[in-house]
Amino acid sequence: MSTIATLPAIAADPTEPATRTAVSVIGADKIFTLGRGKKLQALAEVDLEIAEGEFVAIIGPSGCGKSTVLRLAAGLDEPTNGRVEIFGAEPRQLARQHRLGVAFQEHALLPWASVRSNIALPFKVAGRPVDDARVDGLIDLVGLTGFEKARPKQLSGGMRQRVSIARALALSPDLLLLDEPFGALDAVTRRRMNAELARIWGEEKITTILVTHDVDEALILADRVIVMTGRPGHVRTVKTVDFPRPRDAEITRSSEFHALVDELTCLLDASDGAAA
Amino acid sequence: MSRLRSAGVNLVHLWPVAFLLICWDVWVLVNGYTSTVAPRPWFVIQDVLAGFADYVPSISYTLGMALGGLIGGTLIGFVGAILVWWSAALSGIVTPTALIIRSVPITALIPIIARIVGYGDPAVLASTTLICFFPAFVFTLSGLAAIPEAGRDLFSVLGANKAQVLGRLGVLYALPNLMVSVRITAPSAVLAAMLAEFLMGTNGLGALFSESRSYMDMERAWGTAVVATVVSVLVFVGAQVAERRVDARLT
Ligand SMILES: Nc1ncnc2c1ncn2[C@@H]1O[C@H](COP(=O)(O)OP(=O)(O)O)[C@@H](O)[C@H]1O
Ligand SMILES: [Mg+2]
Repeated sequence: MSTIATLPAIAADPTEPATRTAVSVIGADKIFTLGRGKKLQALAEVDLEIAEGEFVAIIGPSGCGKSTVLRLAAGLDEPTNGRVEIFGAEPRQLARQHRLGVAFQEHALLPWASVRSNIALPFKVAGRPVDDARVDGLIDLVGLTGFEKARPKQLSGGMRQRVSIARALALSPDLLLLDEPFGALDAVTRRRMNAELARIWGEEKITTILVTHDVDEALILADRVIVMTGRPGHVRTVKTVDFPRPRDAEITRSSEFHALVDELTCLLDASDGAAA
Repeated sequence: MSRLRSAGVNLVHLWPVAFLLICWDVWVLVNGYTSTVAPRPWFVIQDVLAGFADYVPSISYTLGMALGGLIGGTLIGFVGAILVWWSAALSGIVTPTALIIRSVPITALIPIIARIVGYGDPAVLASTTLICFFPAFVFTLSGLAAIPEAGRDLFSVLGANKAQVLGRLGVLYALPNLMVSVRITAPSAVLAAMLAEFLMGTNGLGALFSESRSYMDMERAWGTAVVATVVSVLVFVGAQVAERRVDARLT
């Protein structure tokens, strides 16, 4: 017994870097069958490797397969070819252990449940007592204090998105997948939410994949930005972003920041051209 | 003032009833029917109002049987649909059974039901249950089938098991559908109850109708029909209110 227990310690190599791989996508193709024998290739040989605690943003023209990449990572879809591993296991494992947080593009709130119950849902599904302080904290974080009892139909699109972000964060997941979570927000709220997300990430170091079409947002938040080409989606460039954190207004106004924004926007335009 | 006015508006909405009564009266007069063939509406209404106490036991019996069957049949249909949704094996048994039950007319089934469950109350209740079962089954099943993809995805990433998907998602999507079924079967439940009562002649409005007819008490017989119509409409309206409430709460 005791030898088995000490095995990992022996196996651990002191020269190994402290970070584990959180997400690895290896040569993933995704081909959708559209009926009548028609096929659509959404992804072509996507390779991604994300370390634990890393924040990665994916940008790319619309329809290039960004949501599909997230669905693969969430275990909602399987690649046609290639492999996806999350913390060394198959993706669905993480969901089963209630360690996955996802904010979907179409927010998927329960229409009969209040803001509060929607955010508390992950606790209930995981069979854990609802941490009221945590739920209150999240409601406050996403700026919905006073709307606890409101039902989704009484909220604006941006508010619904914020509920969905709070719900994704509820259980402090080990992997957070955000699919254009701030798309419906006005610019001011968007920057505020960016800052809040950066703060949470700074505190909890949750491995995060953020899909966005806002280059500034990607650069404010991410350690690395992945630019995808148009259909079939493929990783075009990976850009490491090493501005110091917190990335406040001073940094976003710097010429280095602007240069990077321009560079990535150019890449995006080129990707769009490839899709057309 | 405004309440008086809205009451007035509601009365105006009753014009089809008044129109029907006048047509009925004209029809009796023009054909020169005697009261044993078809009584005039005013005498029928008079009988209902004056002898209302005699109607009450029959009304409450029929209403009880209809509501009992409505609730019972709806619940059985609901549970049956959930079983079918849950297991493909059960789907092979429940769905054909439900279809067979549906395709045999209730009139033909009542004597058989009576043979099986016994004459009287059990047969009446079984008939109303049966009439409500199938729509509840179909509507629940379609509600469960219509759980949005986004909801399924959400529960999948939350690591929910099948029971949680059912309890926290499926049932709540099926409930508005179930209420549609309640609304459309509610009047049929009253009808089935009366039909069973009529055929077996024990209690209720159906029995009262057949009894008064055999005594040639046509005002009472027609009165029963009028009362049954009103009961049926009220049950329908009640179901509609319930449906709206459920809808407002869940969507
Ligand atoms: N379930 C599906 N069935 C068929 N085609 C799909 C499906 N999901 C996505 N697609 C297609 O795959 C491509 C990539 O979609 P998506 O990942 O949603 O793009 P993005 O999120 O980058 O806008 C699109 O052309 C889309 O129409
Ligand atoms: Mg998308």
